[in-house]
Amino acid sequence: MSSPSPPTPAGKASTSTSPSTTKAKDAAGEVQPVGTLQSSQAHTLRFAHPALLASLFLARFGSLVADPVAEMQAALPIVWVLQAAYAVVCLPAAGSQGAAARKPKARPGEKRRPGAADGAGPNISVTTLVASVLSVISAVALHVALVLFGAPFLTHLPHTFLCALHLALLGLFPLFYTRGVASAEWLEIMGARAPFDEAFGGMVGACVGAWVGAVPIPLDWDREWQKWPVTILCGIYAGYLVGKLVGGTVAFGKRFGGSS
Amino acid sequence: MPTRSARPKAPTTDYKAIAAEWAKAKRLKEADDAAKQPQPSRTKDDVQHTALEARRKTAFERRCSWSVGFWIWMLLVHVVGILLFTSGFLLTRLVLDERSDCANPPSEPLLEWDGKGTIDGGCWHPKTFNKAVVVLIDALRYDFTVPVAEDQAEVYHNALPFLYESSVQSPNNAFLRPFIADPPTTTLQRLKGLTTGTLPTFIDMGSNFAGTAIEEDNLLIQLRDQGKRIVHLGDDTWTALFPDYFQPNISRAYDSFNVWDLHTVDNGVLDHIFPLVKPGRTGEWDVLIGHLLGVDHAGHRYGPNHPAMTAKLEQMDQFIRNLTKEIDDETLLIVMGDHGMDGKGDHGGESEDEVEAALWMYSKKPVFGRTRSEFVTPPATAKVRPVNQIDLVPTLALLLGIPIPYNNLGGPIEEAFAGPKGSAWDHLAAAFSVTAAGIKRYQASYFKARGIEQGAKPGSPVSLWNEAQGLVEKDAKSQPWESLYNAYVAYQNETLRVCKDLWARFDVPKMVLGICIMAFGVIVLLLYVSKDEDEDFAVLDDVELDFAEKSLELQGATPGPDIPSYKTLSKSLVKAAMVGGVLTAVAGGAAVFFSGSEEWLLVAAGSAIGSMVAVTGALHQAGGKSISNLLPTTFWGWLSVTFTLSQSIGFASNSYTIWEDSISLFFLSTFGFTSAIAALRLPNIAERTLAVYHSILFILLGRVASFSKLCRDEQMPYCTSTYYASANSSTSAPWQLVVPFAVALILPSIIKSYMRTSRSYEGLAPAWIGFVFRSVLLLVAAYWTIDAADNAEWLATLSETTLKTIHVSIAQLVLALVLVAGTTAFVWAPPCVSILTTSSNNRTAQITVLGYGNTNGARYLFLPVNIAGACILLSKPMGQGAIAIMLWQILSLAEITDLNRLTAETIGPVVLALLGNYHFFKTGHQAVLATIQWDSAFIPLTTIRYPWSPMVMVLNTFAGQILACVAVPLLVLWKTSPRRKGVLESTGQALGTLVAFYAVQSLATMAWAGWLRRHLMLYRVFSPRFMTAAAVLLTVDLVGIAVTLLGVRTNVLAISEVFGFAD
Repeated sequence: MSSPSPPTPAGKASTSTSPSTTKAKDAAGEVQPVGTLQSSQAHTLRFAHPALLASLFLARFGSLVADPVAEMQAALPIVWVLQAAYAVVCLPAAGSQGAAARKPKARPGEKRRPGAADGAGPNISVTTLVASVLSVISAVALHVALVLFGAPFLTHLPHTFLCALHLALLGLFPLFYTRGVASAEWLEIMGARAPFDEAFGGMVGACVGAWVGAVPIPLDWDREWQKWPVTILCGIYAGYLVGKLVGGTVAFGKRFGGSS
Repeated sequence: MPTRSARPKAPTTDYKAIAAEWAKAKRLKEADDAAKQPQPSRTKDDVQHTALEARRKTAFERRCSWSVGFWIWMLLVHVVGILLFTSGFLLTRLVLDERSDCANPPSEPLLEWDGKGTIDGGCWHPKTFNKAVVVLIDALRYDFTVPVAEDQAEVYHNALPFLYESSVQSPNNAFLRPFIADPPTTTLQRLKGLTTGTLPTFIDMGSNFAGTAIEEDNLLIQLRDQGKRIVHLGDDTWTALFPDYFQPNISRAYDSFNVWDLHTVDNGVLDHIFPLVKPGRTGEWDVLIGHLLGVDHAGHRYGPNHPAMTAKLEQMDQFIRNLTKEIDDETLLIVMGDHGMDGKGDHGGESEDEVEAALWMYSKKPVFGRTRSEFVTPPATAKVRPVNQIDLVPTLALLLGIPIPYNNLGGPIEEAFAGPKGSAWDHLAAAFSVTAAGIKRYQASYFKARGIEQGAKPGSPVSLWNEAQGLVEKDAKSQPWESLYNAYVAYQNETLRVCKDLWARFDVPKMVLGICIMAFGVIVLLLYVSKDEDEDFAVLDDVELDFAEKSLELQGATPGPDIPSYKTLSKSLVKAAMVGGVLTAVAGGAAVFFSGSEEWLLVAAGSAIGSMVAVTGALHQAGGKSISNLLPTTFWGWLSVTFTLSQSIGFASNSYTIWEDSISLFFLSTFGFTSAIAALRLPNIAERTLAVYHSILFILLGRVASFSKLCRDEQMPYCTSTYYASANSSTSAPWQLVVPFAVALILPSIIKSYMRTSRSYEGLAPAWIGFVFRSVLLLVAAYWTIDAADNAEWLATLSETTLKTIHVSIAQLVLALVLVAGTTAFVWAPPCVSILTTSSNNRTAQITVLGYGNTNGARYLFLPVNIAGACILLSKPMGQGAIAIMLWQILSLAEITDLNRLTAETIGPVVLALLGNYHFFKTGHQAVLATIQWDSAFIPLTTIRYPWSPMVMVLNTFAGQILACVAVPLLVLWKTSPRRKGVLESTGQALGTLVAFYAVQSLATMAWAGWLRRHLMLYRVFSPRFMTAAAVLLTVDLVGIAVTLLGVRTNVLAISEVFGFAD
């Protein structure tokens, strides 16, 4: 079990995450937390990213309440760029950790470059693209999940889908970026057994936030912001930011339910 | 090895044990069969074995009885808690015995007239009419009587135009005004208000099914005492309220509760009223009351938006037209509704549509007037110039010259006393003066009887009265009539307001005591269900240990000294409860008896508390349970606490109470997703896949069921009802008939597939599930098809009675099959197992028991299936789909709890309880009185019969919770073998968790209703939710004892008959 120490450099964190080759037998404990990169840009962006997201959300909250669909649509590219930049700069791409762990990336201060040069590392732009596509696809599943929780089935389709898309971009995009599509890892993530890191913490936070976000909807306060899906979106953003922070710091490496 | 063995897995030994057991059982059976033949030498072993089984059986039966005893005690505690709270919470009003007297008016009348103070001239006011015909059209809503523009009109509009037309055309002969009822808008309560002139109190409401005679002073007492002869035709509620008041040979009463019958009562009234108003027979009566029910029944049966309603209203229109032609000059004709109806044609609550009725008065001689010319046109809506229903009492009394009943709080209606020119202010003021004096007299006696002082602040009734009196004394000869009149009106209005406030006075100490008892009860129940760490008998399934134990018991012949504590817990609890309860009851009883106070309810409360203290002690001593056991230790424990508590806190808000259906779905989905996540942690791929599948299925089914919706008023406009054909209807749409057929087609196959996975579709199962249950469901579908045909008149060739007979016969057949035959089958059915004997060689025969791993669960499943069958019959088509889905979800839940190892957790029963609540909403109910489906009482019966009709109502209303309660053992027993120990105790704990959930809801709604007793939404939201929760709790308690526990007992006995007792 990894220690609950503060964010470990990528090197220490992963020794075995070359997913295709992992032995899937004793999956528990196999998946290691993913630390953020140690470059100075990574440090800066790691702190700038939540601030940017939060200020974007707060700045656009008024127009979100006024016209949720238009605002969610307009914010989508910005959020995507923010997430992609955060992932590229701060997080190791899927498949890179093995290589990174061995030697080359451990050097502090070295600029992250597309691993194509090594031949073994992943292509950052391809990873980003794949992660984006996967996020969009999984947004459909999230949309279904929202409906199963009681979201309108036939009406408000763009509202629900855009909300799911935001959830996917925040919660799932970093996971797709760092974990790829390794089934063993995703089994642990879906089973909530994966160790906390920024990406997993962010996803858990976003989901819990979305859940809590449903609480004020039934109240008869007749406020504009109670309209679908504003509160859910609030929950997602707040939950994501908190979850990412907690997952990247105090909870780093810990798992749900102790060590089981 | 075809069977799925119970956990922990010990395939080989387990198998050996089964084989041995079977060989033994077979040997026994052979021995029995061969009893007649010369006795083969019975081994000592066999004798001992039989003795052991017999001892275990009696021990088990004794444990069952103690367990039932414990639950009866729990039920009593709940009853006491609810009774105490209700007695303080439901409003009470003191009934005064004083009566008004013709010769003693409350104040000297302001006018002088001939025959003053006598019945011939008018007791308290000059008499206007000698006779009156009062026609009460039940549920005559105000908008039925006023014109509505063609493009906005519904089918029920403009069908009864006569009242409006006559008041516009001849204002001196007729007037029409909105007539506002004081809720509750049930006919019995309304009749009390319309005759006594007082406000109804909440507590009388329950007596609608068996009306009791009115003791208070009222119009009919006054009429009778003044020698007037009263004839009554129609609704028999009157004869229950006023026994022996009516002229015996010419009065006709008709059964009022058969809401399917639109015509019998009406035709009876119509046939008998016209001969009586013919000139030759008017001498036989003075007041003629006709109460017609057709409009009300059309509403209950079809909803207002149905051609039957139009036809009914047109018939009423014609009837009133004819009646006005027949009556003479000396007769007053009154046509009124006692309440309105809501969008679905029901009533009982206090929504605007329910309280807004119509009042129309007519006289051949011109007596009515308007004080202002714009009052000639009747108001377009009931919001404008309404009169209170109690205003009828002084109006009618003064017009007929009799005294106003003593308890009256209403005021005379302006039009009736304003004179044809509309300027008879002296008559108006005089009428109001004597009415106001009566009110003042009543107030004085009421305050005296209650021992309260009346305040005399400015604006209070006392000061308003003094102001009015001041006007009188200033100038005796030329009174300022108009301002005098206005002063009395102000006094009457203010008094009425004060009285409404006053009778909303709660008995807070009793409410608090009731809440305390409920809270204590919840704690005791939670202690009972809490688990010790070493109390793992549920999972303990060790064959070796079992064998050792058995041989010990065999050798020792006497039960060992250290019997596991779970076996004796119920016994010691019941004993403790008895000791504690009886001691405090005796002490309390003596105190009450000697002090002479009549507070027997407090004795019950003391007894409940005493017994609970004793039981808590016993739980601590015998069960080793303390408060610290209550804290959840696992994620699932916390999840159950979250579900239960967050909903309970939510009941403090009217919004969360209103949207409870959506919130339940939210929680159910949350459980489904968490269980899917937990399932992904399972190491075994097959189990993992199955568990995820069932979790997802559980969520999907819940979401599908959510499309069956019946919205309450407060959910508008964010909700669309789908339960009935339309928002203004209480019948199903034709396309909804697909549902019962789909249920008949699919549900048995689904049950079969769940039994198949454990190879339990054996024994009686194929015959019962595959044939009988499917036939039952097909019969149900046939029933509802005929019902739809009847409603839409597809089968016009068949008479209503023939259809009704076919109807009722099918329904009774279905109930006989599922309840009578079903129970018999459940008692006698062998376990759902099948024995294969394959012999590999001559010496050893291999015995394989198919379905062994689910012996307990599969056989018990018959019981919930049968109950579900009864519930399906008694629900409307959409509800049938919901119940079928619920049964499916229950099966999935049983699989989930088994696969995710949750059988010992509290989450299973909590989710089941939530599921029960959820399907309460999905079967067309809401926590408001108006959604009670009264017509379901007539599914298997043609008339009201006790106790069957109330039982049918309960099965219809609480189908979800009842099914949940009956299904509790499935969560414990599903996929367990006959070796499972402590079946009764584990089921008891699971049942305890389910009951605890409902008890917490009951406690929470109770506490919030008490705390928010001055809230605007008290009677619309909080009070009905409390009543629902209390009714659910008591129902679940009863069902738990009578069905669940006895069902488990039967099941264990039947299985142990074959496999031997596990403990």
